[in-house]
Amino acid sequence: MHGTTAPATIDPVTLQILGNHAQAAAESMAFTLFRTAHSTFVKETEDFTTGLTTPDGQTFASPRELGATWFVGLDYGPVIRAIASYNEGDVCMTNDPYSGFVCTHSPDIHLWKPVFWKGELVCFAVGHIHNTDMGGAVPASLSRALTEVHQEGIRFPPCKLVDRGMLDQGLLDVMLTNVRAPTQNWGDLKAQLAAMTTGERKVHEMIRRFGIETFRAGIRGLLDLGERQARLVIAGIPDGDYPFTDYLDEDSPDGLPCRLHLTLRIRGDAAELDFTGSDPQLAASLNMPTGGNPRHILLMVGWNYVLYTLDPTVLLNGGLIRPATCIVPEGTVLNPVFPAAVGMRSMTCMRLQGVVMGAFRRALPDRLPAGPASGGPMTNVNTTDNRTGRRIMAAIDPITGGAGGSPLGDGADGSGANSGFLKNTPVEISEAEVPVRILRYGLEPDSGGAGLHRGGLATVLEFRVHAPGTVVTARNRDRSHFRAMGIAGGRAGATSQFWRNPGTARAQNLGNTDVVTLDPGDVIRIVCSGAAGWGPPWERPIEAVLADLDAGKITREAAERDYGVIPGDDAATVARRAAMAAEPRPPADAGPERAAHEAIWTEANYAALTEALARLPVHWRHFAKRRVFASVAADADRRGDGTEVRRAIAALQDEFPQIA
Amino acid sequence: MACRVGVDIGGTFADFCVLDEASGALSTLKVLTTPDRPGAEVIAGLEGIQQRFGVAPADIAWFTHGTTVGVNAIIQRKGIRLALLVTENFRDVLEVARLKVPDPYHLYSRRPDPLVPRARVLEVRGRLLADGSEAEPLDPASVEAALARAEALGAEGIVLALIHAWRNPAHEHAAKAIIAAKRPDLPVYCSADIWPIIREYERTVTATVHGHVQPRVAYYLGSLQDALKRAGVAAEAMVTKSNGGVMRAELGKTRCVEMLLSGTAAGAIGAAFVARQAGIDRAMSLDIGGTSADVAIIADGAPGYGTGERVGDFPVYIPTVAVSSIGEGGGSIAAVDAIGRLTVGPESAGSTPGPACYGRGGTRATITDAMCVLGWIGHGELGYGAVSVRRDLAEQAVDAIAAALGRTRHQAAEAIVQVAVSGMYKEVSKLAARQGVDARDFCLLPFGGAGPMLGAFLARELGMRDVLIPTTPGVLSALGGLIAEIRNDFLDTVYAELDAASLPALVDRFARLESQARHWLAEEQRFTGEARLLPSADMRYRGQSFEIEVPLRPEWLAQGDLAAMADAFHAEHERLYGHADRDAPIQAISLRMVIAGAVPAPRFPEQDRVSGDPIPAGTVTVFLDGAPHTAPLYRRDALRHGHRIAGPCIVAQEDTTSCIPPGLAGEVDRFGNLRLGVQAPQGMEA
Repeated sequence: MHGTTAPATIDPVTLQILGNHAQAAAESMAFTLFRTAHSTFVKETEDFTTGLTTPDGQTFASPRELGATWFVGLDYGPVIRAIASYNEGDVCMTNDPYSGFVCTHSPDIHLWKPVFWKGELVCFAVGHIHNTDMGGAVPASLSRALTEVHQEGIRFPPCKLVDRGMLDQGLLDVMLTNVRAPTQNWGDLKAQLAAMTTGERKVHEMIRRFGIETFRAGIRGLLDLGERQARLVIAGIPDGDYPFTDYLDEDSPDGLPCRLHLTLRIRGDAAELDFTGSDPQLAASLNMPTGGNPRHILLMVGWNYVLYTLDPTVLLNGGLIRPATCIVPEGTVLNPVFPAAVGMRSMTCMRLQGVVMGAFRRALPDRLPAGPASGGPMTNVNTTDNRTGRRIMAAIDPITGGAGGSPLGDGADGSGANSGFLKNTPVEISEAEVPVRILRYGLEPDSGGAGLHRGGLATVLEFRVHAPGTVVTARNRDRSHFRAMGIAGGRAGATSQFWRNPGTARAQNLGNTDVVTLDPGDVIRIVCSGAAGWGPPWERPIEAVLADLDAGKITREAAERDYGVIPGDDAATVARRAAMAAEPRPPADAGPERAAHEAIWTEANYAALTEALARLPVHWRHFAKRRVFASVAADADRRGDGTEVRRAIAALQDEFPQIA
Repeated sequence: MACRVGVDIGGTFADFCVLDEASGALSTLKVLTTPDRPGAEVIAGLEGIQQRFGVAPADIAWFTHGTTVGVNAIIQRKGIRLALLVTENFRDVLEVARLKVPDPYHLYSRRPDPLVPRARVLEVRGRLLADGSEAEPLDPASVEAALARAEALGAEGIVLALIHAWRNPAHEHAAKAIIAAKRPDLPVYCSADIWPIIREYERTVTATVHGHVQPRVAYYLGSLQDALKRAGVAAEAMVTKSNGGVMRAELGKTRCVEMLLSGTAAGAIGAAFVARQAGIDRAMSLDIGGTSADVAIIADGAPGYGTGERVGDFPVYIPTVAVSSIGEGGGSIAAVDAIGRLTVGPESAGSTPGPACYGRGGTRATITDAMCVLGWIGHGELGYGAVSVRRDLAEQAVDAIAAALGRTRHQAAEAIVQVAVSGMYKEVSKLAARQGVDARDFCLLPFGGAGPMLGAFLARELGMRDVLIPTTPGVLSALGGLIAEIRNDFLDTVYAELDAASLPALVDRFARLESQARHWLAEEQRFTGEARLLPSADMRYRGQSFEIEVPLRPEWLAQGDLAAMADAFHAEHERLYGHADRDAPIQAISLRMVIAGAVPAPRFPEQDRVSGDPIPAGTVTVFLDGAPHTAPLYRRDALRHGHRIAGPCIVAQEDTTSCIPPGLAGEVDRFGNLRLGVQAPQGMEA
């Protein structure tokens, strides 16, 4: 597909100018899509991408100002190769996570359009929109409880939506017949098609400006430059093996902890990311479909954030991920096999970003922050307006937490680190549109992990509903058990909360529930998890503690308990701080919940489990994990060295000879 | 003789524009600014125009002024210490803002610290609902307690911003009365009085920005009024506004937030005026100063309007002439990074020390230095003798870049210009896509100190239709102020369905806006001429999260023509977004009324057409594609209507230099503007 030979190199200044033009093309596509999209979801969440790829699918330009931050460098190669031949005027489509693993859950409709110059294919204009619904078992097509991809809506394998300029109306009708809001889907699809046209036009402008040979050399040059920059960043990191582990609270509704484990191996200017030790594929939709691609974009989100933070001049293109090689064993939560459900992979992806950031932080403790809160739930209300009887469904707010404290200072409050892309809805708009009364919205005091540099506070939302049968969904609920990890003496962030009628006799802790049906007068309180602190809290300057107290970011109790500061009593403060400094503490603190879990589920036990499960057929693994956890919990002779796990596996094989 | 004088204060220069009402002749002057003594430059300039043009203070019949006192106070956060009183449980309206951080890819990115820190954000009890009804009465004791706390924290002013004040200002007004009774000396600002939009963050941040600067701006305007009076200027001072209009300085003392972006707005108004006069329907104004380049899209003779324009770290939601920053200014610095990549900006040499070639201590190469090395500038004096150009210093600075790039001096200089221009290309492309327009249909209208230096290069890169360089590009903002209308905006946030049931209320509220507007113009501005009323509504389809402003005709309101209003919305939606849903219900969120009292438009004198070629003052050598080319150098005042010029050539004048690369050619129009067509885009492949 590369066609005629191009100059081997391109001079750096021309490359820089061509880079600006390529960037202009990707940004123009994004603005066209954003401007013409129909659904409020696209406008509010900016969950879409646009970009340009080489003929073999490597993204050389993506927008910076608009759109999702997760898909920088997405490799379109597998779906591009799935189409036999391309003609001028074609636009191809897929939303199937198992056709090449470019799309990663069914609501994402990806398009790619070949761009020709004098009859020759020179690049692709690409992009996706997250559609509100693609049909399937539940509205919005996403639920943690789903177990098979077939429940997650209609799926289109790579196909031509437009063939030589002719829209395939039959194909479109099949889609629109199967989804819950066909007008929106079609409207957004038109916006995507408009963005493709813009991309094609800007590419033609570029070729006229630079000439085809320079264009060809330039797009490869941009990828090579991104790679060079990335390798320079990696080369600046000391060689070594840096493991990091974190957990999702539950691997299914009311389930067990879901472990995500990474060993980051830095060697010179390259890195290996070995995810072996992560949990088996789940009978729930938290699986991340990567197909084992060694540079799959969902595995690389944290990588991109880290490299950009270490060097904000890096080009955000597919070259950035070239120095990385991921190892993701098949049949695990990070590489599920068909037909595992994958709809809620975003929750796993967000936690995994923290894992990647954590491993890099072990390599560069002076340059990266402690654990972020990451994103929290997107809160939706489905209720009835008592005056009109009209049913109303609306998104109220994403509930986010802040960034971790770092060697540079306190973490950002409210949102930051890898949740900085989300936007909220004004209280006045929510109340004008949805018959709910917002009782509180803002920062939750004491939610940030204590530290010399405090973790960012979480946001809190409280509201009352007025109609019976009001349904509140809070997708992505997590961290009500496991906390963000504090570093260098800093403390873990607070857990998240989800309460019905808090502070009353009818109070109910909803934990990680993501759907709740309410009665009139019920109050919901949602608090995101807090980010972790960095450095010993008793070393935080007293005036900084008092300033937080004045600002209401911490309470008086927390000032004393976490920072050893007793306002107005210098002597007591000195004594309390000295006592705190003398207490033995581990350098990393992820809270008592994780300590308790890991007291039983030691490295050795997890290693034994990982090894045993890898030998089982994929469809047995989640089941086996549950049984082993139950056996180990009941085991009276736990040693933490793997023996209790091997014992449990042996018992399981006795019970089920078919897996022996 | 009666004259109009417009003054615009920038980073380095205060620009003066003097219009002789009888002849239409325009004179210009620049004096250096006096940042430590704001207002002194105005008096210095008045002395200058008396000496140079014989215009005595008593001859000044109309005086307009754009000040940067407010915007500087916001950028430097040097206004008063405010306390912010908010509804209980909503203390973080500024701190949380709209959540999103400026650079979501960066793990350390954070929202800017608010103007009022959380410790001085105090809660009061009382709650209104979205329909304006009261869920809980305002608790006076909580207001008094908050006041006591604010005083203890040393607050010098108080902003009140309570939930749903857009619908019902009663609680804010009641709280203000409580505070005024105890502390009549303390300035108190109500969000509903500043700008009553729905969306608590947007309303609160706007009120806070206003409160932060109001006392300082009021003091400045008072001093200016006194100084003008002492100098013998009888005309009442007018100030320029972000909406492109002017108002009496006296009123400006209480409406400071409306003036913050007046400089860029006046520039766009000036550009629009020039475009209109030259008969250009679609123009992009390009204002390049020392540190930034700004673009406004001008369609049918008027710039567009927007809200949420940034002042320093903060968005301000007052109607503002839409001006977008597209990158670097003439003082932006070139550098070579660790991997040998050439970057231009965002660091800038600003006005101090300025580009190396200004000889004021700058040593790092800027865009201006690159243009100097290439031979484009440095053939006359800039800024009325205030600055002379030293090519040797420019060469030294560019040589450092050349060494780092491994290129020759001229190659390095060309690279700096090309990288800077391609950065602007990127930003203009984004802007065009956002607005749904094609840059190739537009005429570029460059102004500002460095606009004519780079404008033609950018127009060529974008393949724009043509370029129009006005006669006084260096002082277009001052000119804009001089010709601006007396203009104000009125807003009523109604949040109503656009249907027959709401129609009587909508019509009634428009009538109230109209009477407010007429009162403002007649009573507060003492304007007796003809007024234009421009009603509009911010509308959306139910379920959308954003509104679009739709101009309405007064007769639709008079006749209650619901269908016409709905049609106008569908058509505007279709125009902006490419689609409309004629069956979907529409909501009217806000009603707007603009009133404008026209100031008589000046008639610039038209020149007689001359024949023959202009006579260059000399020829110079410019470098293009690494090779020297001979280019004629014209003095601007020697170019007359009908003279034809073609690139490469240089046109020097007192306040700027126009650099015309190959590919542009055209002639001087009857007003003296240079109008140059752009040939097919430059490229290696046609």
